[in-house]
Amino acid sequence: MNGNGTNAEPEIRIGVFVCDCGLNIAGVVDTVAVAEYAKTLPDVVVVQGNKYTCADPGQNEIKRAIKEHNLNRVVVASCTPKIHEHTFRTCVAEAGLNPYLMEMANIREHCSWVHQQEKQPATRKAMDLVRSSVNRARLLQPQVEPTFPVTQAALVIGGGVAGIQAALDFADTGHQVYLVEKEPSIGGIMAAIDKTYPTMDCSI
Amino acid sequence: MMDVGRHPRIKLLTNSEVENVTGFVGNFQVSVRKKTRYIDEDACTACSECEVVCPVVVPDEYQEGFSSRKAIYIPFPQAVPSSYVLDMDNCLGTNPIACGKCADACDKDCIDYDMEDEHFDLEVGTITLATGMQPYDPTEMDEYGYTRFENVITSMEFERLICAGGPVEGHFVRPTDRKTPKSVAFIQCVGSRSVNRGVPYCSNICCMNTVKDTLLLQDHYPDLQSKVFYMDIRSFGKGFEDLYRRSKEVGVQYIRGLPGNIEEDPVTQNLYLTAENTLTGKVTTHEVDMVVLAVGLVPRQDSELIRQMLTLSPTSDGFVMEAHPKLKPVDAPTRGVYFAGCVEAPKDIKDSVTQASAAVARANILLNAGEVKIEAITSVIHEEECNYCGRCVRVCPFHAITPANKKAGLYPKVVEAACSGCGTCAAECTTDCISMRHFEDAQYYAQVDAILAEDPMEKIVAFACNWCSYAGGDNAGTSRLQYPHNVRLVRTMCSGRVDEDFIMHAFRKGAPLVLVSGCHFSDCHYIDAVTWTQQRIEKTWDKLEKMGIRPERLQLEWISAAEGQKFARVMRELEELRRRVTKEEVDNTMRILSNGFKTATKKAATKRVAAVIS
Amino acid sequence: MSESAYFKCLRCAHEYVGEYTPKAVEEKTCPKCGSNSVRRLKSPPAEKAAG
Repeated sequence: MNGNGTNAEPEIRIGVFVCDCGLNIAGVVDTVAVAEYAKTLPDVVVVQGNKYTCADPGQNEIKRAIKEHNLNRVVVASCTPKIHEHTFRTCVAEAGLNPYLMEMANIREHCSWVHQQEKQPATRKAMDLVRSSVNRARLLQPQVEPTFPVTQAALVIGGGVAGIQAALDFADTGHQVYLVEKEPSIGGIMAAIDKTYPTMDCSI
Repeated sequence: MMDVGRHPRIKLLTNSEVENVTGFVGNFQVSVRKKTRYIDEDACTACSECEVVCPVVVPDEYQEGFSSRKAIYIPFPQAVPSSYVLDMDNCLGTNPIACGKCADACDKDCIDYDMEDEHFDLEVGTITLATGMQPYDPTEMDEYGYTRFENVITSMEFERLICAGGPVEGHFVRPTDRKTPKSVAFIQCVGSRSVNRGVPYCSNICCMNTVKDTLLLQDHYPDLQSKVFYMDIRSFGKGFEDLYRRSKEVGVQYIRGLPGNIEEDPVTQNLYLTAENTLTGKVTTHEVDMVVLAVGLVPRQDSELIRQMLTLSPTSDGFVMEAHPKLKPVDAPTRGVYFAGCVEAPKDIKDSVTQASAAVARANILLNAGEVKIEAITSVIHEEECNYCGRCVRVCPFHAITPANKKAGLYPKVVEAACSGCGTCAAECTTDCISMRHFEDAQYYAQVDAILAEDPMEKIVAFACNWCSYAGGDNAGTSRLQYPHNVRLVRTMCSGRVDEDFIMHAFRKGAPLVLVSGCHFSDCHYIDAVTWTQQRIEKTWDKLEKMGIRPERLQLEWISAAEGQKFARVMRELEELRRRVTKEEVDNTMRILSNGFKTATKKAATKRVAAVIS
Repeated sequence: MSESAYFKCLRCAHEYVGEYTPKAVEEKTCPKCGSNSVRRLKSPPAEKAAG
């Protein structure tokens, strides 16, 4: 599918890590039941519960499980990926797994925190979200982030007070700068102003 | 300014315009046209011999037309580069018989009437946009008589009249009789904070500029009476309130209320302003010698082109949109492009300079890293199924796909570094031959399948964009806003990624209700990708209706990252809608979709999906 | 140039006449319930015409 879809992986081995987040999740969602449920999902070979998955002990458990169980996919059921996707990508990468093989299920912001009075439905929803993430994780592919060199020069368009400052700062930090100004002189509107507030000094 | 001219690492291109920008972050190619000055700017010493002999006299723009210049001129004495320029539109002619006096007068032979425009092709890693703004033209506000009464001037014209380097050498006089006025009225918010004419926003600088002007007048002419007509004086910056207080202490009158109109005494050419002081409720007519209109700042009219070249969007005020209004205020949504100064919004000199330094600091992160890494969520075109239709090229908000050419056998090609991964191309592709790395069609189907595997009638499938709607859901969570548990979110980078097939797939698998949710148009992280979402949903509604499926079962909502309240409210509303969907209706939909809805093009993607799953 | 068109809110079923600018793609919001699920109808709603 990504141009390398032909050599299918031998076996998909998913580890699921269900986070209590103290009582933030476990206070509403029956995380033990969610973990038990996760064990029944296809390609899931290990499920662990953590009190705080994002803390070092939690992360170490993920790393240990990756090695111990030869995991090639990781699903973390915890908070929003907006907060910890980077954390867990880094975590699995440190254990030798491609960071794009980690998937999250948001059972806190989108579940325990918003269904506090509905513990059973919230638990069923958490199971759904885990199942959804596991199903997606089965199809995840390792990705390589493309890199490109950066041309060592800056262009500044406009030679008013902002453009002048930008050009000088670029130049003073050692970079080649092109400053393009439409008018025959730089200075912009500032050059036409007499004194400037709050210091009441000359603008030019 | 002089430092710029001297700095060994700054190449200054004046009288120049950017004509084209191609490439991507870290690798921009920029072509610049340097319009000829007809003068060798390196050789010119600004000796003024040419100017002396030039017979042409035209209004001087720099002095706001209060004085004149020649056709060969230096914009202002401190100009950088310190070189003359020949205004060919007003020059009598380059033919020596017509004139040619300046060339004769120039000892250094700097003047060349045949000099041509130059082109520069620049290779740069980053672009900082600092094209500024322009003052509002008060002509349309005829009640202030700017075009009818000579003694009504703008704040920019005031600057030239009070300036020692100005047309009257700082001896502030009024235009009609060239006498120093005894009284001057300032009118605030001319063109600003007005819904009907001018602009609706506050232009930021005019209050303080007027306060400054009143102090300058007081300094030069202690007996002169200044009156300021205002709605609110906004003096929130460091040292500004002090300045405002000083202005009041020296006797400047501040009158809360804007004049309805200005009339002129035909004999004395004094001006009468009638205004209600909204603090006292009294309507009073004031006679003054002169009126200064504190004009607002508006986006430059000529900024449209460069904005398009850099694929930038305007915000509703016409200034450019930032990558994030609070957290990335100097980054453009186009990677590698940064903003400095008033191009982003009206601001004063201090803020412009601050923003310029911030922009450089941001750009330097890129330059100093030496290489740029792109998140591996870019789009991939599977050429074997492409029919050269070019739709992907047209819908890409970042112009990251190079056009196809069927005759030459050239397929559209994704410039990976320019691709931001919104997925609009993949959703719009007519043959489903585009996939997104890490956000494949098959992965979405897998998520939807999992959600609907048990008790589908209880579920609402919601596609939510990463930046706004998904984050709006997070916001609802952080605020502990309670809503019904039936919704299941599927995260997409952009709502533009939501292929019609995803929606149909959800219905086929028994979803009673589907929501597609994205950013408000002004917040879209992929320029205008969200507008494609809306158009696609509109088409899908039509299609559903034709197939006998109630369009109401597909819902659309724009929810920002801050709108947790809205998110929770929408979830409650959707749950109401879901309850009204009957099992019979869903069964019927599943039957319709499993029979009818499968286009030929769909097969390609299905095949790829199968290949991945197996 | 904008012209008037018929819209229907697919959230609250409110039908109304509003401004519509061809080509310009703008956020649509139901004036009654605030929803963005606003569909432009190709023709006026039939039952409305009778009443």
